[in-house]
Amino acid sequence: MNDLAAAVAAPLASVDGRTKIKVRDVHFYYNGFHALKGVSMDIPEKQVTAIIGPSGCGKSTLLRIFNRIYAIYPKLEAKGSIELDGENILDPGYSMNRLRSKVGMVFQKPVPFPMTIFENVAYGIRHHEKLSKSDMESRVEQALRSSALWDEVKDKLKQNALGLSGGQQQRLCIARAIALKPEVLLLDEPTSALDPIATSRIEQLVEELKSEFTIVIVTHNMQQAARVSDYTAFMYIGELIEFGNTEKIFTKPDKKQTEDYITGRFG
Amino acid sequence: MSGTDKDHIIKSYDSELARLTGEIVRMGELSVTQLEAAIDVLDRRDERAAQRVVGNDDAIDQLEQEISHDVVRLLALRAPMAGDLRNVFAALRIAADIERIGDYAANVAKRSIPLSMVAPVGPVGGLGYLAELAATGVREVLLAYRDRDAERAYQVWKDDVVLDEAYTGYFRQLLTYMMEDPRNITPCTHLLFMAKNIERIGDHATNIAENVWFQVTGEQLNKQRSKRDLTSSPDMSRLGDKPE
Amino acid sequence: MSNAGIYLRRRLVNVIALLFGGFATVLGLIFLVWILWVTISNGLSAIHPRLFTKITAYADQGGLANAIVGSLLMDMMALLICAPIGVLAGTYLAEYANRSKLGASIRFLNDILLSAPSIVMGLFVYVIIVLPMSNLTHGNISFSGFAGAVALALIGLPVIVRTTDEMLQLVPGTLREAALSLGVPQWKLTVQVLIRAASSGILTGVLLALARLAGETAPLLFTAFGNNFMTVHPLDKMASLPVAIYQYTNDPSPAMHSIAWAGALLITLFVLALSLLTRLLFSRKKVSYE
Repeated sequence: MNDLAAAVAAPLASVDGRTKIKVRDVHFYYNGFHALKGVSMDIPEKQVTAIIGPSGCGKSTLLRIFNRIYAIYPKLEAKGSIELDGENILDPGYSMNRLRSKVGMVFQKPVPFPMTIFENVAYGIRHHEKLSKSDMESRVEQALRSSALWDEVKDKLKQNALGLSGGQQQRLCIARAIALKPEVLLLDEPTSALDPIATSRIEQLVEELKSEFTIVIVTHNMQQAARVSDYTAFMYIGELIEFGNTEKIFTKPDKKQTEDYITGRFG
Repeated sequence: MSGTDKDHIIKSYDSELARLTGEIVRMGELSVTQLEAAIDVLDRRDERAAQRVVGNDDAIDQLEQEISHDVVRLLALRAPMAGDLRNVFAALRIAADIERIGDYAANVAKRSIPLSMVAPVGPVGGLGYLAELAATGVREVLLAYRDRDAERAYQVWKDDVVLDEAYTGYFRQLLTYMMEDPRNITPCTHLLFMAKNIERIGDHATNIAENVWFQVTGEQLNKQRSKRDLTSSPDMSRLGDKPE
Repeated sequence: MSNAGIYLRRRLVNVIALLFGGFATVLGLIFLVWILWVTISNGLSAIHPRLFTKITAYADQGGLANAIVGSLLMDMMALLICAPIGVLAGTYLAEYANRSKLGASIRFLNDILLSAPSIVMGLFVYVIIVLPMSNLTHGNISFSGFAGAVALALIGLPVIVRTTDEMLQLVPGTLREAALSLGVPQWKLTVQVLIRAASSGILTGVLLALARLAGETAPLLFTAFGNNFMTVHPLDKMASLPVAIYQYTNDPSPAMHSIAWAGALLITLFVLALSLLTRLLFSRKKVSYE
């Protein structure tokens, strides 16, 4: 049986390439509830890392620590360290503006601002940079092209963004996030409100964007994690159970809990 | 470490997987029965019974069709993952191996017909021993499959050496007979092919063992196995045996 | 009991519930239509160009010109006072004090204000504005259009606070998170994104407040008092439609009564127009965050 007992992966699975985000012993509490219990993982640069797990496992919570968006609500507290290129973003000295220009986020429901399509993309840029009119226009076009939306909206940039379809709105939200030229893109269940065709478009987009960005995606849809990610993390009740190569996780996970979850045996 | 004792949340998924395992085991048992029947009709020199054995192969083919269909359906509708994926994938490959085993058994039965038309030759009895080894291998690997027992499958995989050695010995014996008396050449050639078929059955049993190993552990069974079928070595091939 | 029995009973209960509900609706509608009918039939016959050109000083030979101007003036002043305060207070409640105890207590107090009797507002303003003014100016200025406007503003304020608060809370939280995740600061987010997203709802609240205070009589009795002559000076006693109606109906002359009816019709039409406007605003600029 010695062959059967193949090496059990250490919690810190080694990844190829450079580590972009180094998560070390992160704990999270809200209203005294211990939501994350010592999560550590290395998120590789310019790869797609998926975080899966049942509802309430802490996957969204973890994602929301990466840009400290949780900090807008009272009584939430994160401990441990999250190093982005070697600097701890949980350090109060780490500028929020700097963090949010480096780490973009796209949410579950497409939420365009109540403005024109152009303004939606330009809005965030204006806060961080002073650009001339023509520079701004080319920047917006570039963002819309990268998010595969340009051809659909180039003739109606002055129209209200709320008139777009759900899938288009979500791609607009991605454009809005990547317009700031972030280094990391966080996607929080980005397709859960979309139909299958719009979902495929977003997934294709994720594949294209990974040459430029480090992408972390939280998803309920395991097939989606399998399709789009290079690495997969499985979380359960606030703990990281297994982290590794996506192919490995979906063909031969090391942990029984992972296997039970992805084969639909949970309960 | 692999696999799990828990049931799926969706109950019908479990019953579909169980059905798949059941079909494989049934198909495998059928193929072993065919092999044993083929040897039996050879011993009894029963031409009509041999025809029946050949005809029975259709049932095995039929089962393989059903399994393929079930596998495609499971892949499309259940999108199996991890252990389930390996399970379904292995089932498809194992079914193909068993189908070949059935074909070889039918071949053995078919060649028993011309043999029954000529006078019995001495070495016929040796074939039964080969068949017994092969049938044991197939039976064992089916049990290993049914019980998801990687170690038992590995044993079958290792034990194929015995069948290979027995085949090499039988091969030599037939050559001796043919050199002794040219009238033996026709029946011994038939026996030669039948022996080769049975040796191939053993190889398919090892294939199945490899798939069981993969299904259970998620890894390929890649150990160096000593090849004892020496009939294709230079001094033998000089005598005309072309390995498949 | 057999299935048929259960079904029969359910049908019976359904029919009874339907009858009661239908009856109540019809009863309510009857009174509503009746009120409208009485107002329109009595008011329409009294509508005359004189209403808009002559002042109340001519009594039954006069019109309501000073009352119309006074009402419009005080309503607008009241709106100028209560709309900015109301929107800002509502924004504070929704965006900054949403989860705090302070926010909860302010909301509670606002709800009390919302249902406070309007005569109380009049008395309150009488005590804090009319009396001190009179004392300061030795009786030269006492009742005034300004005091009336403040009293009306107190009626409109809680309505605007409430609707602004609620409309902002309807804006999905992820919109806030989306803006904040771009690094946009809270004040920019509030002014440029949230208020814009809730703008039609907030405007509706302001118009509703206007409709509400346009029909108020009680707060004006001790504040603007009334005036039979035309004035646009905010520190004069000022006429208003509701007060004029109130005074005319107390007069024994039927001619005065019919002028009062005409005034009532004018207010009704004004409120109706405001309601239509809010409907139009709400239906045209739909916010599609479900």
